[in-house]
Amino acid sequence: MTTTAGVLARRRRLRPGRLVRQVVAVIIGLAFLAPLIWTFLTSVSTESDVYRFPPKLWPAWDWSNYSRAWQAAPWLRYFGNTILIAGCVVALVLATSLLAGFAFAVMKFRGRGALFLIVMAVMMVPQTVLLIPNFLIAQRLGLYDTYAIQILPWGASVFGIFLLRQFFNTLPPELFEAAELEGAGPIRMLFSIAAPLAKPSMVLVGLNSFMGSWNAFVWPYLMTKSDSIRPIEVGLQSFYGTDGTDWTGLCAAVTFTTVPIILLFLFLQKYFVNGAYGVEGAVRG
Amino acid sequence: MSETVQTRFRFRPLRSPVAYLFVLPAMAIFAVFTIIPTVYAFGVSTFKWNYLNSALSTFVGLDNYKAMIQGTYEPSFASTMGVSLYFVASMVVLGTILSLLLAVLLYRASTVLLAVRSALFLTYVTPLVATSLVWVWMFNPRFGLANAVVNLVGIHPVDWLNNTHTAMPSIIIYSLWHEIGFTTIVFVGGLTTISTELSEAARIDGAGPAREFLYVTLPQLRPFVIFVVVIGSVSSLHAFTQFFVLTGGGPGYDTSTLGFQLYQQAFVLRNTGYAAALAVVLFLITILLSLAQLAASRSLRSSDH
Repeated sequence: MTTTAGVLARRRRLRPGRLVRQVVAVIIGLAFLAPLIWTFLTSVSTESDVYRFPPKLWPAWDWSNYSRAWQAAPWLRYFGNTILIAGCVVALVLATSLLAGFAFAVMKFRGRGALFLIVMAVMMVPQTVLLIPNFLIAQRLGLYDTYAIQILPWGASVFGIFLLRQFFNTLPPELFEAAELEGAGPIRMLFSIAAPLAKPSMVLVGLNSFMGSWNAFVWPYLMTKSDSIRPIEVGLQSFYGTDGTDWTGLCAAVTFTTVPIILLFLFLQKYFVNGAYGVEGAVRG
Repeated sequence: MSETVQTRFRFRPLRSPVAYLFVLPAMAIFAVFTIIPTVYAFGVSTFKWNYLNSALSTFVGLDNYKAMIQGTYEPSFASTMGVSLYFVASMVVLGTILSLLLAVLLYRASTVLLAVRSALFLTYVTPLVATSLVWVWMFNPRFGLANAVVNLVGIHPVDWLNNTHTAMPSIIIYSLWHEIGFTTIVFVGGLTTISTELSEAARIDGAGPAREFLYVTLPQLRPFVIFVVVIGSVSSLHAFTQFFVLTGGGPGYDTSTLGFQLYQQAFVLRNTGYAAALAVVLFLITILLSLAQLAASRSLRSSDH
């Protein structure tokens, strides 16, 4: 034990680049965080302190910007809508991915290969291409300006099906043979044997969909027009549109709408980083 | 003998047609919201679309595509493609090089380096609208932090988002800030999988860190570089939100990329048919890029054996 520690210590001393590397890294890290920190500092500054150049970096800790911004728009409604939409999307995605992932991995049926190929092809179609036709289809189906159009299209995910199929493929066949002898059908096999084992993959898939819903902008912006059903990022954009010069209020609104995502990230970092190796980026723009 | 008979007549739940019911919900959603709309987009692109009453739309064949070549609509298709190329090429080249450098700086396991990696990845998970608004404030010509920083080196205040020369670079700076955490983590993942033996051998042979990186580390990272380049070009080709919030495609048409023009033509100017044609072009470019990635990774794999 002591010898390894000694070797490690010596190795550390022998690397002169180590300290330099860490100092450079910290400076870069702070540079990346600077816009977020500055937003927060602006949100607690007085108006007169903000309008000076060069900027005064230490704020007056004026929290009144938060109450002013909060009262200027139906934020509670936006938050509620976002949570409702994200919750439904996550539930749907988990259900469709579990079912399809299980069928593609474990079950045998005619056309399995062809159907899976279709799933993979769906991944190649970008959302931008779908905006126009889906807008026209949504209007025709009476889905324009509804919660449904913000939920249903995101209710199945190639990433989710792919990830759960990969996971179910790793399960030993004996697991299902035993269940088969006890007379279990495919539904019981999935929900009482396979799904409980797939929890880590399910968290990853759910998180991916949750982030997509929380950060969604273009889709709900174009597919809805009523404030009463719009989500948080669309609300934030229209808040900026109505008073684009109230910088302290805007920075307060950016802060209270973004802090939940930052907290989620800090608590579930491991999953986010694993997600970075996933097939589909988490961003829906 | 008796065993085979038994298996033949036994209930085989994993071969049951219930499988079709299992894939049905996902396939139905894909059909209604992805597959049919894709086909529909091709259809709409052959019409002069009447957005108030689609029954009054007239079939015009390839006229919307001809309009692109002839530059009928403002801004011309050629200029839109030029602006897109400017953005995509900058994002891919700068994004790949910077995230490689950052990954080399950060890939070792230490508390400090891990915290810095988290800081980078944090910017990637923040919402595009919220952080674009942050950067509108950063780039504010009179009170923004960007001007305060360049002021330190004696540069006069710049109207970042309204100046022909700085509007696109400003969006590129924002987009790099937002995206680079993701690609850095991908490269960090790559660096932790490659063999250290080769690097040690190179070091024993007297290669400096730069040569070791170029001739030993980089070739082993090739699959990751391909992934990052393709993901980067596809996502920046489709980028929309930062253009919408930061510049609105301006000044003039200086930041009107293909993704932004598609929105502008369809939802602001109501040239739905022409916009659908733009969407089809965007789709075909995306498919080509994805196929290029497949081909590249396949040839890599076969050259390994």
